[in-house]
Amino acid sequence: MEIMRISRHRSIATGLLGVLAGTYLVGCASVVTIEAEFPTPVVETLPVRIGLIFDEALTSYEYYEKIPQQATWTIYLGNANETMLGGLFDTMFVETRAVDAVPLTPTDLYNLDGVLRTELEKFEFEVPISKRDEFVEVWMQYRLTLYEPDGALIVEWPVSGYGKSETGKSEEALHRATVVAMREVGAAISTRFAEQPEIEYWLQERRNAAALSADFPLTN
Amino acid sequence: MRLRCRQTFRSPINVAQTQKLCVGLVLATFLSACGVTARIEPYKQTNSVIREGEQVVVLARKHHATHEAEAEFIECISKGLAKGRDGLEVHSTTAFEDQLYPWFEPSLAPLNTDELTELLEKPGVLERVEATGVRFVVWLDGSTDRTASGGGITCAAGIGGAGCIGLAWWEDDARYDATIWDLESLTSAGTIYADFLGRSVMPAIIIPIPLIVRPRARACKGLTEQLKNFLTTPYGYGPGPELG
Repeated sequence: MEIMRISRHRSIATGLLGVLAGTYLVGCASVVTIEAEFPTPVVETLPVRIGLIFDEALTSYEYYEKIPQQATWTIYLGNANETMLGGLFDTMFVETRAVDAVPLTPTDLYNLDGVLRTELEKFEFEVPISKRDEFVEVWMQYRLTLYEPDGALIVEWPVSGYGKSETGKSEEALHRATVVAMREVGAAISTRFAEQPEIEYWLQERRNAAALSADFPLTN
Repeated sequence: MRLRCRQTFRSPINVAQTQKLCVGLVLATFLSACGVTARIEPYKQTNSVIREGEQVVVLARKHHATHEAEAEFIECISKGLAKGRDGLEVHSTTAFEDQLYPWFEPSLAPLNTDELTELLEKPGVLERVEATGVRFVVWLDGSTDRTASGGGITCAAGIGGAGCIGLAWWEDDARYDATIWDLESLTSAGTIYADFLGRSVMPAIIIPIPLIVRPRARACKGLTEQLKNFLTTPYGYGPGPELG
């Protein structure tokens, strides 16, 4: 009888400890889903038709980090990636279409000028530990790879963005800093894409080809 | 101090009065120790003023790695400019940055009027700026930082009660630069420099008594008033900046 009572007390104590530990762990787990509206850039539209590859790794991007003796962070960026990049490319190019892979299928081969694959390569952040730190900082790097429709590589271009936000509630500050970093990436892509030497050359080739076909139209 | 007061006055009534006087003196010392020292230097180099239907937008300089004007401060200035009977038409900061995206993002925002001229030559940018109705851009640079702190308070609790003793103090410096650009003439209309240094003290005699000053709030009020004057008063407004 005595043994049963001790055992029951022990199980209640273990249960309570479990609940406490669970509460503690839940309290230290931060989940941030990045959701934002990204503005349309005021840039000149490039006269090229582009196929876009957004892999699942990009559209379901999830970042997880466990900071020792602090908290675990899970950041969902997939939707924001799709919204930001989709809107950006729709404005930057005269025509965009989602494609699955390069080389393109015979249907798309002559209807598109190139294929652009975007990947999110790196995501880093820093949340202040002491009260003296004033900002939450985010750094991220995307990689843009431009292909010819037949799959030939034109250029690989890493684009990075940095964002910071005043501390307050860590999750909200991290959200703001991430959006700032993503806007910076969008700014770099929309203003510097056509300035990359390989892309500049490729665009010039397309313009020359278009001018040539206008001068000597194919007749059946 | 306490011993001297007791030695001088022997009557119980006089002792009570003297104690009040001593406490009053101590409080007056603390009150005089806290306060704000303000310095504003406006400089206007054109006679341009805001007209009916024209708007002003307040933007933060964000290219510094260590500091930037706080979002709260930008909001305070924007609201202050729009407030009152003499309120100006203020364009939302976020809306302006979105309408002109990506040209006013931290890495691309023009740093001087030459860069602004180049920016407005880019396709579609001038049209967008005109569509906003914004004539003046106020660039705010600076921040509020803790420059010094000291002292200490000790608290203790026992069966008979609890209490604190000591003195803590700190200094916050709100230092901001407002540079005003005229988008019509594509020139810098002038600058306003504001420095508000505030010292707060917290004496603790049984309970802590916080005597806190807020230099950032004072800087917001001061800078807003100056900006209103700047944008509505033509030439000759305010003294020039100190040279050398």
